[in-house]
Amino acid sequence: MKYFKNLVKPYVLWSSVMIIIPLFVMLLYAVTNSGNSLVNIQFTFENFKRFAEPVYLNVFVKSLKLGIITVAICLVVGYTLAYIIAQFKERTQTVLILLVTIPMWINMLLRTYAWISILSDNGIINTFLEKLGLSPISMMYTDFAVMIGQICDFLPYMIIPIHTSLSKMDKSYTEAAYDLGANPVQTFFKVTFKLSIPGVLNGVIMVFLLSISTFVIPKLLGGGQYVLMGNLIENQFISVGDWNFGSAISILLASIILLAIRWMKKIDTGENSQK
Amino acid sequence: MKKVISLIICGVLILGLVGCGEEKPSIKVYNAGEYIDTSLISDFERENDCRVIYETFDSNESMYTKVMSGEKYDVIIPSDYMIERLIKEGFLQEIDKTQISNYEKLIPGILSKDFDPENKYAVPYFWGSVGILYDKTVVSEEDINAGWEILKNPKYKDDIYMYDSERDSFMIALKALGYSLNTDDKSELDKAYEWLVEQNEIMNPVYVGDEVIDNMISGNKSIAIVYSGDAAYIMSENENLEYFEPEEGTNIWVDGMVVTKDCADVELSHKFIDFMLDAENAFKNSEAVGYTSSVQEVFEEVRDTIYNDNSAYVPRQGGAKDEYFRYQDAETKKYCAELWTKVKSQ
Repeated sequence: MKYFKNLVKPYVLWSSVMIIIPLFVMLLYAVTNSGNSLVNIQFTFENFKRFAEPVYLNVFVKSLKLGIITVAICLVVGYTLAYIIAQFKERTQTVLILLVTIPMWINMLLRTYAWISILSDNGIINTFLEKLGLSPISMMYTDFAVMIGQICDFLPYMIIPIHTSLSKMDKSYTEAAYDLGANPVQTFFKVTFKLSIPGVLNGVIMVFLLSISTFVIPKLLGGGQYVLMGNLIENQFISVGDWNFGSAISILLASIILLAIRWMKKIDTGENSQK
Repeated sequence: MKKVISLIICGVLILGLVGCGEEKPSIKVYNAGEYIDTSLISDFERENDCRVIYETFDSNESMYTKVMSGEKYDVIIPSDYMIERLIKEGFLQEIDKTQISNYEKLIPGILSKDFDPENKYAVPYFWGSVGILYDKTVVSEEDINAGWEILKNPKYKDDIYMYDSERDSFMIALKALGYSLNTDDKSELDKAYEWLVEQNEIMNPVYVGDEVIDNMISGNKSIAIVYSGDAAYIMSENENLEYFEPEEGTNIWVDGMVVTKDCADVELSHKFIDFMLDAENAFKNSEAVGYTSSVQEVFEEVRDTIYNDNSAYVPRQGGAKDEYFRYQDAETKKYCAELWTKVKSQ
């Protein structure tokens, strides 16, 4: 066992250099306002206060809303798919899960560009509509475009954990429920769904985390005026060059994500203790 | 097993060292995206038996951020105001004109501008203006003659691409209001901000970057803010389009090649600059990207042949209200950046 403990050391070293130190630097940027060089340090909460302006709060609300909707749709679609997959024979399941993961082998950027050529005003859908004699629909640079891009990119992260907990479930539980006179709907909500909650929570956390911090998808499918938290941070770092404010927003975003994870973990343990 | 692994590691290391020994001289060039005929890079490599590490940026600001965070480049091709900033911050070295045999061929009208009055640091690469690209079949003559105000004409709601750049957008609002585009007067900037917010509300424009090129070629919307060079290229692909420089004045710009202070191979960097000014190469380059050449004979040749009848290839010169961008002091810059973030986040 001791031998294995030593194997962890490089990882600890690596993560402290690559994660802890940068995080600390980010925190330092967030509470100072001396520019990007960090030469004369002056502590301030100015950067956090700035975020309280209505414009930025709106961005935050918009991100949160989009994140929650994405999670909700991914959950419904992902759960259904995972459930269907779990009904097949084990061999078939492996193949089906492979099919779910195949899109993830392709770079996210490319998948998003594919959506551009599907949705754009002269894209595949509109060309098709035109052939049918229907008037074209403008889909690019709308909530719809951003949403569909996000859902497609993040769906596998929902399906896989749910499928894992569904496939590990002992079939005799549902059989028992039927024997005790529960109908299929009752069986699903009282037995199957409850037992799969750990998987659901993992999926929800992952998709929420990805969708609230995304910036490439809204930028490409929503245009430059589609500003979410991720875009705000990217702007501060890359084009504005205000790393202090950028770090402050990042810290805020990170704390929100941490809180959300904690809250969901609590639900999880609450469920477990009920059993 | 261990032995096999260590043998492999040794092998890789030795290969790596051998690779180092044969290394050719190299320079690192940093240029805006879609802004060069890439075959010229391989031509240059072949001619001088060297390697060019070519990287691109999407805006002057992101270039600055990257350079300031410690990334080293030999030749950079930024715009006028950014060159001024780099000069002021002591980031560039003077160009040795004796090493640039084609220097005499540059268009005199674009030299000695305020950002580099004695032409010490920058060698013009391309130049042009900012204007409105519009669809002649949709936009009436009368409407376009209203100049920048067409961007607030409700007739064209949902039909506009703005350029996703802080300085260019503020330039439009400031010029529409009759101010200088280099103003540091906060009340003028506030008014420009209001102009942009109002425009955003009435017109629901889409702020895009280089995507504007493909979108306008396929005719997705009928009005777009573009650089003259992009306009020339787009117009050569879609004949319904026309380019317009409003009477209220616009931004005339020059992008220049500069050599950084910590440049590793000054001679090769100068060779690269000279190579880009060579008539044949400059012709190829201008033809490929559509931007206006800084070399007199090439400018005339392209104007009379490939981009014949293409108004965007010949930017307005000597317009009384036209201005070059100048360096903004840190406070103004920060002020504008914050306003711009707010415009987009509305």
